[in-house]
Amino acid sequence: MSKTSYGRDYEVVQRLRPEPVTDREQLAQGAVQDIDFDIFKHKMHMIALEGKETTMKLGASTAMRFGDVAFGIFTAQGDLAVCATGIYHHAVLGQIPLKYIVKHWADEASVGVREGDSFFYNDPFYGGVHNADMGLAIPVFHGDELICFVGAAVHTGEAGGTEPGGVITSARSKYDEGMLIPPIKIGENFRLKEDLLTMLGAMTRDERTMILDIKARLAAVRIAQRRIQEVVADKGVDFFIGALRKTLTVTGEAARKKIAELNDGVFRQPRFLDSLGTAPGLTKINLTVVKKGERVLLDFSNSSPMAMDRPINTYFQGLIGLTMVYFCGWLFHDLPANNGLLEAVDWKFPDNSLVNAKGDVSTSLAPLTQICFTQGMFLCGARMTYSHDPSRAVAAWFSGFAIPNFGGLNQKGEPIADLTPEINATGCGARYDQDGVDAAGAFFATMSDCSDIETTEEDRPFVYTFRNLFNNSYGHGKFRGGAGVGFGLMVHDTPMLVLGAMGGGTRFPTTLGLFGGNAVPPTFVQYVHNSNLNELMSEADSRLPNNLTAVYEAENPEQGDRHFNETNMTVRPFANGDTYYLGVGGGGGYGDAIEREPAAVIRDLRRGLVSHWAARNIYHVAYDGESLRLDSPATEALRMEVREERKKRGKPYDEFVEEWEQLSPPAELLTYYGSYPDPEAGLSDS
Amino acid sequence: MGKVRITEYLEIDCDTEKWCCNRCGYELYDARGNYKKGCLVYENPLEQVHPPLAPDADFNFTPNKEFCRLIEFYCPGCGIQIENEYLPPGHPITHEIELDIDALKARQADQRPADKRSG
Repeated sequence: MSKTSYGRDYEVVQRLRPEPVTDREQLAQGAVQDIDFDIFKHKMHMIALEGKETTMKLGASTAMRFGDVAFGIFTAQGDLAVCATGIYHHAVLGQIPLKYIVKHWADEASVGVREGDSFFYNDPFYGGVHNADMGLAIPVFHGDELICFVGAAVHTGEAGGTEPGGVITSARSKYDEGMLIPPIKIGENFRLKEDLLTMLGAMTRDERTMILDIKARLAAVRIAQRRIQEVVADKGVDFFIGALRKTLTVTGEAARKKIAELNDGVFRQPRFLDSLGTAPGLTKINLTVVKKGERVLLDFSNSSPMAMDRPINTYFQGLIGLTMVYFCGWLFHDLPANNGLLEAVDWKFPDNSLVNAKGDVSTSLAPLTQICFTQGMFLCGARMTYSHDPSRAVAAWFSGFAIPNFGGLNQKGEPIADLTPEINATGCGARYDQDGVDAAGAFFATMSDCSDIETTEEDRPFVYTFRNLFNNSYGHGKFRGGAGVGFGLMVHDTPMLVLGAMGGGTRFPTTLGLFGGNAVPPTFVQYVHNSNLNELMSEADSRLPNNLTAVYEAENPEQGDRHFNETNMTVRPFANGDTYYLGVGGGGGYGDAIEREPAAVIRDLRRGLVSHWAARNIYHVAYDGESLRLDSPATEALRMEVREERKKRGKPYDEFVEEWEQLSPPAELLTYYGSYPDPEAGLSDS
Repeated sequence: MGKVRITEYLEIDCDTEKWCCNRCGYELYDARGNYKKGCLVYENPLEQVHPPLAPDADFNFTPNKEFCRLIEFYCPGCGIQIENEYLPPGHPITHEIELDIDALKARQADQRPADKRSG
């Protein structure tokens, strides 16, 4: 180790923007012609897309099989130039391990970076999110010259730790999380090192999935390597290096130009998280976006302090990664997705903050904190962009996870530890001209899929009792959020299984509406031990609930020991026949619900996508309850009454605030919040 | 210079430097300040928007009022809900859009009238 101690490298994680252009790159990119460059970009994207598809087809874990895959082509300095993914944060954050490899291992005699090497990493300090996200990258050479890296970063559903499934709701420090591996070489001369694979397998509950996922990543990047070498053989190495760098250069220039088109101003969105992992509690992520000229500053001052013994902390680099999800998918949707976009972005993270984790604190639930933030980015982004292009103003997709995690033995006696895939069936946020898409995917993995039920049932000890759209899962509005999915599981044919959940928003909505649209309702877990459901199924009882609404109706015949839990639920034993119910949320609503086209409400009623209660009390639509025939004049009159009632009940701002500011949450909920309401109030600047 | 659309329900009159309701034209507040100060404000009980659907007191699809409250902002002119906020009890109301009005006016002055987004 010639350049660092054995501790974490706090310098390299700062290098999220493109590295300075080298003389070699500068000379080469100047010679790249526009037409050749366009063909090159398309060719490289196809190579990356093939890599993503290959990774998915060969992988074993739930997330890998169903598309939570980031596949990138990086410059020789480690910058992301090309990616094919809907899960942009992994691609962008994938550059940090590569910059670490260039910095620490390229000239280190005991390691080195050579043709045929492969590197593995999962420490979230370098990957930015959490340790279930694992990456593998290889260097690509032309002769003796390193010309680029290719990498695949994917969530493998198990990383050891004190709970299965890669999410440790009860973690009190990083040492509870399991594997935390900075970039290491796991292969040389085109061969993986079996001793290291054995070690990695031994550190998790499901070694088969762990190793298969590693080999899937490697197979995919090797195919991409061959394709890249074909391009180099065809166009020359100078062209390749120049064009790869030019991709970053033109992206940065275009990003700054796009930002300059927006109105200058300050946009704010405080976000509140309602879970500490295993207990309720409030924390704040305070987002201020300052847009001036061609740059955007993300300022997180006045966020809650680090939670020293809770897993909700996040590294700052993870939040920048999630920022890139919004930037790549929405704000800069028509620009190449690479870290050249960050040429238009600055950031400010306070020290010792929940959003700037240091030391030994746990970040196992960082994904929850990060998407809680990203939802604020959607809202600030909408306020920033509407004036220029309202089509960019979209309410947030569901931002609360609600994922079952499990571990044990499946119906074949094989070890399993993973998540179920319904997180990839959340609803899309409503837009300025239309409803959100139902069960659209996940905003951070828009190209993902929630799997066929039968596929999941094939090697998991669950029977799905139902899985379909849930009409109380989205935010109402002039345009409603897309509906999420509710589902029921019954455990079967397993000698041992523990089941939990990861997510937020049981008490404070994780997903807010936009421009007067409503938030997504809370999510929570219900489970029933000693359930009679299996017996009722064997009798073909027609009263069995076939959607999440029916689970909570009085007519539900299921009996047993019923329990409720917040969406973060530490794993606990489940026996054969026990049931489990959860819903992933839909999208936030857009605009005032009384402006919703009444016919759209009737259409939703016919499809079971809105309740009669909401049709009458939120949308104020008059219709015949049996025929669903719309009464337009009566609807108009009802909505006029609502407007008049609002004008009567609303108070002038100052009068309202005078009473409002006397309120406060109970002190026991603010243990991890910091000073209320401004977490940093009273802290010295030193 | 006329009006510039800022959100679904808000626009800024660059001549008078006022926030206005897009639906009825009501002048809400100084464009350099928080438009919410010109709105009518109401705390809507959570169950009015997120009704309890499950029997449990703590887990029923209604946010917990110890954690969260729903504040709605109405146009005094037409009663449209311009925005809402889900906030912990007593948390200061957010000044969410603070535009650089001088830069906005300069931009408007530079644009041809046909390019302006309004109405």
